[in-house]
Parts: sequence; structure tokens; C-alpha cells
Amino acid sequence: MMSLEEISQKIQASAKRLLTEGKVEVVIGYRRGSIPMMAAPHFARTEDDCNQLIWTSFARTNLAGYLSKFSGKVAIVAKGCDARSVVGQVVENQILRENLYIIGVGCLGMVDTELIQAKEPRLYREVTEDITTIKLFGADWNTNIVKEEVLRRNCKTCLSRTPKETADELIGDEVQPLPNDNWADLKALATKSPQDKLVYFKNLIQGCLRCYACRQACPLCYCPVCFVDETQPQWLGKSNDEMDTLTFHILRAFHCSGRCTSCGSCEAACPMDIKLREFNRILEEEVQKEWNYVPGLSWEQKPPLTTYRPDDEADFIK
Amino acid sequence: MTEYIVKDKLTFLRALASSGYNLIAPISMKNKIQMAPTDPDKVDLDYLNTFLSPKSLFFPQTEKMMAFHKDLTKSDAFVYKPLGLDQVKPSVIFGLRPCDAKGLSVIDKIFQNNRFTDPYWNTKYEPSVKIGLACLNPGPNCFCTAVGGSPFGEIGLDAITLVRGNGFGLKTLSAKGEEFLKNTSGLEIGDLTGEIADLKKKVEASLPLPLDLSKVQGATILSIFNQPHWKTTADRCLNCGTCTFVCPTCHCFDIQDEQDEEGGVRIRNWDTCMSWLYTVHGTGHNPRPTKTERMRQRFMHKIKYIPMKQDGTCGCIGCGRCVQLCPVNIDIREVAKQMNQG
Repeated sequence: MMSLEEISQKIQASAKRLLTEGKVEVVIGYRRGSIPMMAAPHFARTEDDCNQLIWTSFARTNLAGYLSKFSGKVAIVAKGCDARSVVGQVVENQILRENLYIIGVGCLGMVDTELIQAKEPRLYREVTEDITTIKLFGADWNTNIVKEEVLRRNCKTCLSRTPKETADELIGDEVQPLPNDNWADLKALATKSPQDKLVYFKNLIQGCLRCYACRQACPLCYCPVCFVDETQPQWLGKSNDEMDTLTFHILRAFHCSGRCTSCGSCEAACPMDIKLREFNRILEEEVQKEWNYVPGLSWEQKPPLTTYRPDDEADFIK
Repeated sequence: MTEYIVKDKLTFLRALASSGYNLIAPISMKNKIQMAPTDPDKVDLDYLNTFLSPKSLFFPQTEKMMAFHKDLTKSDAFVYKPLGLDQVKPSVIFGLRPCDAKGLSVIDKIFQNNRFTDPYWNTKYEPSVKIGLACLNPGPNCFCTAVGGSPFGEIGLDAITLVRGNGFGLKTLSAKGEEFLKNTSGLEIGDLTGEIADLKKKVEASLPLPLDLSKVQGATILSIFNQPHWKTTADRCLNCGTCTFVCPTCHCFDIQDEQDEEGGVRIRNWDTCMSWLYTVHGTGHNPRPTKTERMRQRFMHKIKYIPMKQDGTCGCIGCGRCVQLCPVNIDIREVAKQMNQG
């Protein structure tokens, strides 16, 4: 198995080559964060910048959302879900395919820092990692935690860990999905009555601060003005009123249906640890069942809910 | 000021709860430690700090300020009447970390000063008794000492305690604290001066050194405003506003009117300078048009404007919440260093 250092070195080499050959103006990736268990999005333009690029399992935020901020040619370091979001940006006409270079990395999954702290609640001073293990160092102790035991929930059920369909080059080993049943827990939810579902969703959003970090961290949320920010008319109240807050989350989920790649950026950004993907997963499953469509695997196919045809066979549309 | 020995934690918390004040203290809610009204038996003292800052005790995320009704048979139909300004049972807040107490005092100077008083803040903040809990074991992201604070800091507190065996050491810090605690049962007068000084020195030594902000203090606003690093840092900023919502000194709000068939309310909600909507004018013009200006505003406010208006007190109190929760690792310490370098 390739080590984190080897993957990082290959990313750096690739970034340097792309910049030197003038193929791209900037390489978007991650660098080491200023605190333990944190990576920072990094925009490499020089050789020095490139030397800071790393591969880590503490990458919280999907980088695809940054792409449309650049007008020139851009390379992006992408794990499986991120690469699918990048493809989504092209399919939805936010960026041009010819301006894009995907450095794909086979991904063993990102870790959930909450789960790490649940396993080891003592105050750490330093945290290091290798490809399979997190190592926490306290004042007079250290602990090893196996990454596979503390993966983010979306990483446990990820079916596209290696972006082999769409990446311009691949770094690291090809990673196979973990055995899982992605929709198992949704079956229980589906049998609930509408009233019980409402209770379930109200509980889910308890504590929401209406900060919209989920929206800002989501590569799908690129609307110039979000419906919650519109004032003429104002569609939604701004307080922590339960129904207003729930309306925001449900509407955002509908806007993302058939487009969400389960990257978990929203959940990682949420300061209140709200399991936001519950909303998206239900719709993700619906779209997959109804149209056999998985977003971000093809450069041509549009998300089903963004297209229409005059000869559509469904009656309701006519 | 008086120093006391408290033999037993729970007896003391029970005494606080039966003092005629509401006890507010750290408790575990949804796996997170939060400040909330509680029974003394449920107080959780094994915490680094509360997950969110305690500002919401006095400045909630959503606060109803006024209400009216639409019953035309009554003469006061459609007349806004203030809410939440009646005298209520005051609170005793136990377990504030010194950084957060200092943060509250920063907001206090904004909400109550010689020009105006915010009655919604004042009604709750003023009568409350604030008892701090000194930090003996600060966390990996704590940096109060870097911005003029201390794990034993006394600003904004009426008394401070430190865990001492099964009980506490306690020192009163204000006349209000003195008055409140002199009638509390289970306290014995003691001498903690040497002990506090030793512990303070030891814990402070484990924390970061003061940030050099001398050039920021001397520089003009405009020269810092035009520094080139803002753009580079803002490149990765998502403008998500998490930093402002979790910050103990961020205090901006938005006022909204809402109504239904029966009546209406005027509400103030936390708002954030990271949001485009926060500064957009009725004309459509936005003086902070991109995320660079919006992100710069927050750091200028913390590190330049608040110190200018509050005799050098930094607007950042070093709790580390924004550093830990920023999804893209924008670290206020790094930004402050860049501001000081120019």
C-alpha cells in the first residue's frame, strides 16, 4: 500500500509538472493545517507552494466548489467523491472541461474527528497519521486508532473511492469499496408515518444555528443568491423557528437531489454536528431507483431533475 | 476581596441553586457541553470549555423583542409592546471559563456604554452573578495568553473558583460577588493567594506567548485595510460564518418582523458579517461586495477596531473555537501575525 508521504510526493511532483509545463495556472489541493487533525485548502502557484501539498485523512472540505472562482486553467486534487463533484460542475456548466485537470487519488476514507475524540477523550497535544492509523500524543501518553474504525459515515458507504472514470491521472492504489448496504437505515425511516417522519427530521436539525455553513461548504450550492437570502419577496423567516429551519434544510436537499455525491462536506462544516446528509440520502436513493442515475460518473449525462424533453413518457409533465 | 475554601462541590452547587437565583452551569446536551439552567446534580465539571460560547445566555440566537396583536376590538391592536424586559429571577452562572467571561465583558461594553444601553442585554446580564472556573488543564487550541488573557483571568467575573480536591478554592472579585457569596452555606474563609499565584504561573507557562500586535496598534486603519494578505487568505474562506456564530465576542444581529393572522413579533437574530446579505443596501449596492472584504471585516473588528475602542483590549479572547471549527482552517493567530507584519 502506498504511504501518505509517497502519495503527497506524487501530488507535489504532478503539480510542479503541470505548472512548469504551463498546463495550469494553479493547483488546488490541501496543505497541513495550523492545528492537529486539520487540513487547509491550498492553492499552489509556485514550486514552494507545491512542496506544501499533502494527502491526509483530515481533509474536511470538498475543493470542487473553488473551481468556478478561477477563470484560467486549474488542476484539482480529488478523491472519488470530490472528482464526482468536479464532473458535476462541468455537467452543470459552471466550469469548462478544457480548463480542468483532475489529479485523482484513491481514497481510503476521511476520518471523523468526533469519533476519534469519543474513542480517546483525553486532551491530545499532537496528532500524526499514517495510511491506516491515527496516533494521538498527550502529555504523558499516546494512543493508536485504526482509521477504518473512525471513518466518516459517508466514507464507509462510498462506492467510488477511486475516481478512475474521470481523473486525468491517478495517484495511489485503486481502492475498492467497503462491503456495505448504503440504504439499510433508510428502509426503517421509509416505514414511519408522515407524523413520525416530521418528528424525526425536527430532531435531526435541533441546534441548527442557521449559519448556512452546510450550504457554503457544498459544491452544489453555487446560486448567486440563495432562496433563504432573497428579500423581495422573503421566502423564509430568519429565526430559529423549527419550521423555517426545517424548510431551509428540506428545500436545499431537494435542490441537491440527483446531484449530491455524498462527499460529506456539509456535515464536516456544520459546527453543530447535524447529520445533514440524512436529507440528501433519501433523495439520492430515490433518484438512483427512479432513473438509475449516479451523479458525477459521466461527462455527458445531465442530472435527471435538471432536464426535460417534449416527448417525456411521464404524463405528469405534459 | 475574600478567599474561601469550598469542601464539597455538590454541596456548594446546591447552595447556589437554593440562593433564590437560577443556577446556570455546564451540562451535557446531545454529547456537547453547554451552559444551561440545570439542577445542581446534573452539572458536568469535566470539560475543557462549553461547546458554544456563553453569549447566548444574554444574547440568544433568536430573541423576541416586541409583539402586537390584531384584535380590532381592543384599543391597542397593531401596537408593538416590548417583550422580555420585566424583572426576572436573576441567574448565578457557575463554571464560566475566564476567556469567555472576558468575551462577555467585551460585548457588554458594546451593548451598554455612555451613549446607550441595550435593555435586552442589560436586563439579563446586569443582575447575574458570574462565577468563573480557572483552567488548570487548557486544551490544544487554547491561546488566551496570546491575546492578553489568562487561565486565571478575572475580567467580567464576580468570583473565580479552582478545582481543589473534592471542592473548590474560591475568590470573590466584585462587590456583587462578595455580597452574594457571604450568605452561601458551606464556605470557609481561607488563604489561597500563594496557591493561586503558583498554579497561575504554572498553567500560563503551558500556553502560547503573547502575539506581537504592536505594529497593528500603531498602524492606521487604512494601511492594514490595504494589506495584500487579505486576498490570499480569503481565497479559501467559504464565508460560512461559523467563526462568527461560535465567537464569544461576535454580537451582530438582524432585526426582522414576522406576522400571522393573529399578530406579529419583532425578532432579532444573530447575523454575520460573512454574509453577502448582511451589508447589501436597498439600492442593491454592497460595500463589501466579495468574500475578501467580508472576511477582512471580521479580523479588523477583532484585532483593530475593538482594541481602539476598548483601551487596547483585543476583540479575540483566545478561546480557540473558530480555529477548531473553521472548515478551511483560517486561523486568527496566523491572520493577526500577517496584519502585524504588513
